[in-house]
Amino acid sequence: MGDQSNSPSSSIDSSSSHPALCSTSSIFQTRRDLLSTDLKLGLGLSTSALHGCSSKEREQLSHWPPIKPLLRSTLEEKVHRSHSKTFFVKVYMEGLPIGRKLDLFSHSGYDSLTRTLRRMFRTTIICPDTSRVPPEKAHVLTYEDKEGDWMMVGDVPWELFLRTVKRLKITRADKC
Amino acid sequence: MVGGFRWAAMFPDEVWEHVFSFLPADADRNAAALVCRAWYRIERRSRWRVFVGNCYAVEPAAAVRRFPEVRAAAIKGKPHFADFNLVPSDWGGGAEAWVEAMVEGWPHLEELRLKRMVVSDDCLELIARCFKNFKVLSLVSCEGFSTAGLAAIAANCRNLRELDLHENEVEDNCLHWMSHFPESFASLVTLNIACLEERLVGLLHRVPQLVDLGTGKFAAQHHPELFSKLESAIAGCKNLKSLSGFWEAGPTYLPAIYSVCEGLTSLNLSYATIQGPELIKLISWCKNLQRLWVMDLIEDDGLIAVAASCKLLQELRVFPSDPYGAAQPISLTEHGLVAISAGCPMLHSVLYFCRQMTNAALLTVAKNCPNFTCFRLCIMEPHTPDYITRQPLDAGFSAIVESCKHLRRLSLSGLLTDLVFKSIGASANCLEMLSVAFAGDGDAGLHYILSGCKNLRKLEIRDCPFGDKPLLDNAAKLETMRSLWMSSCSVTLGACRQLARKMPLLNVEVINERKRGLPLELQPDNCPVEKLYIYRTVAGPRSDTPSCVWILR
Repeated sequence: MGDQSNSPSSSIDSSSSHPALCSTSSIFQTRRDLLSTDLKLGLGLSTSALHGCSSKEREQLSHWPPIKPLLRSTLEEKVHRSHSKTFFVKVYMEGLPIGRKLDLFSHSGYDSLTRTLRRMFRTTIICPDTSRVPPEKAHVLTYEDKEGDWMMVGDVPWELFLRTVKRLKITRADKC
Repeated sequence: MVGGFRWAAMFPDEVWEHVFSFLPADADRNAAALVCRAWYRIERRSRWRVFVGNCYAVEPAAAVRRFPEVRAAAIKGKPHFADFNLVPSDWGGGAEAWVEAMVEGWPHLEELRLKRMVVSDDCLELIARCFKNFKVLSLVSCEGFSTAGLAAIAANCRNLRELDLHENEVEDNCLHWMSHFPESFASLVTLNIACLEERLVGLLHRVPQLVDLGTGKFAAQHHPELFSKLESAIAGCKNLKSLSGFWEAGPTYLPAIYSVCEGLTSLNLSYATIQGPELIKLISWCKNLQRLWVMDLIEDDGLIAVAASCKLLQELRVFPSDPYGAAQPISLTEHGLVAISAGCPMLHSVLYFCRQMTNAALLTVAKNCPNFTCFRLCIMEPHTPDYITRQPLDAGFSAIVESCKHLRRLSLSGLLTDLVFKSIGASANCLEMLSVAFAGDGDAGLHYILSGCKNLRKLEIRDCPFGDKPLLDNAAKLETMRSLWMSSCSVTLGACRQLARKMPLLNVEVINERKRGLPLELQPDNCPVEKLYIYRTVAGPRSDTPSCVWILR
């Protein structure tokens, strides 16, 4: 997300093309595209250790909006406590025709989810950003979002993930 | 006139000390100290309060040596963006060096305030043992200590007047640390432990003179009996002016604290999920409120009610109950802000989280409140334009800086071009701290700020398209400021190297977590800088940098 060198640099005298109208919205568009492009590329090049951090840290990568940790954790706790609801999603593992169902609301974050899935499917689910070559039997966790795209689990904050996930799939690591 | 400055000797030192005691600000005392050697000597021996805005700006031993009679010290460590997890956890800000120097040189220290520092239990034990007349301990946004360390403070500091521990990360390993407080604790006036779970009832009965109370986490549905006992204990504190806590009380319990509401000048409900109608009822009792921190559950209607009943309001902070936009949209909009600006004539400080804003609303706020000293607006979705006109919010924020001539602190958000920075650079003459995120078009934006804003002390920027040129063109400005933070911008290592060579009185810290442990010398000039922290210092490079930080010289 850090490298913005592709964004159009403006000269000090910007009176010629006043950014207020269409060019501003195109800057807006460009930066947004850059952000989403960066994220997708980051996922694809998993062996380059772009992030090199745990899934918990990846949850908080965007660190936005700027609220203090105490408030953030208090709100997260409230979300979990207020839920008498459940949110079951289907989970398939590549190669197995019969899937399972998992209640996402009963998990506090990515770590908890990965642990449960490892137990359910008896496989190692690796963090896709480790630079080590994944062992034969390892898998990565992906999900289908509201737009129908398949994404790597772990890049967005947990709460945002809960809003967009439709179902999960455990795929072989060498396929990603 | 007597030759040279020998007129200084016409009065005994005590007279000059007395004169200096009227100087309101440290900056004034610093100026007096530069007049002549005699004044330097007299001033330094009579300064009893020091504020160190950046713990790495000076060696602790040097500070202690220069001002031997200090009774009250305040020290800040990590950069502000550490509050939002942007600073690596091992970056630094340890308090040991300072505590050891203070124990050595300021044995009569009475007051210590630390912010964003790493404080160990050993430090707390040193403080508890060595400062015989210790009265005030304030640890805000600190970490590294446990309740065992607090037990040492409680047990040894018999004259404690103020214990303020809000927003800390504390390890809770000593359940009843508060039982170490003396039986009769007539000195305690402020108790703010909003980061810990603790039963307060017993203590509250021992400190009826309490003026400022902050409670820990409190879920009424789990401890209904305890809650009602707490409320009667609170009601017994007749001097209570300030109340804060994790209120999850249902509507049935709130009326019990109505009796103290009228005396309250400060109310912090920023962790309370009390809904709008209950909030309105509670706040309508607080006619003397000067400071209100609340969740956006108060909504526009609630703020309109506040504007009608709290005419003495000076500071308002509205926090997001749902920062990731998941649940039902809250009806807190620009209308609430405008209502407060119109109804509260003494309002001068605002922090407002919302999802929509218009230039028109900001223009109205600017017109209603020319006395703002602090204006922080956080529109939660980055790059959000004026939702009616779809324009950037340049005009709105420009109006704020042009109208509020005493503005000292500003945080921007929403869709913003370089134009807003042009206005800020030109008009914000009192501005000391500026926070910028997801704004601007290019280098010009940063150049406007650094070449203007003559009183700028702290600048923090994230995710803006600002690069090397404005930094290098305005290198001298950086020495007039306390610090600059830039993350996820377009700065390269080469520029940082140039800057460090050019400005020996700056520490240029490059933080690259992805390249943790790699040698600095091998990195090319065009290597992009993830995070940059530049600060002026007379202490030279620090010796406690972790592997993700390079200090360029």
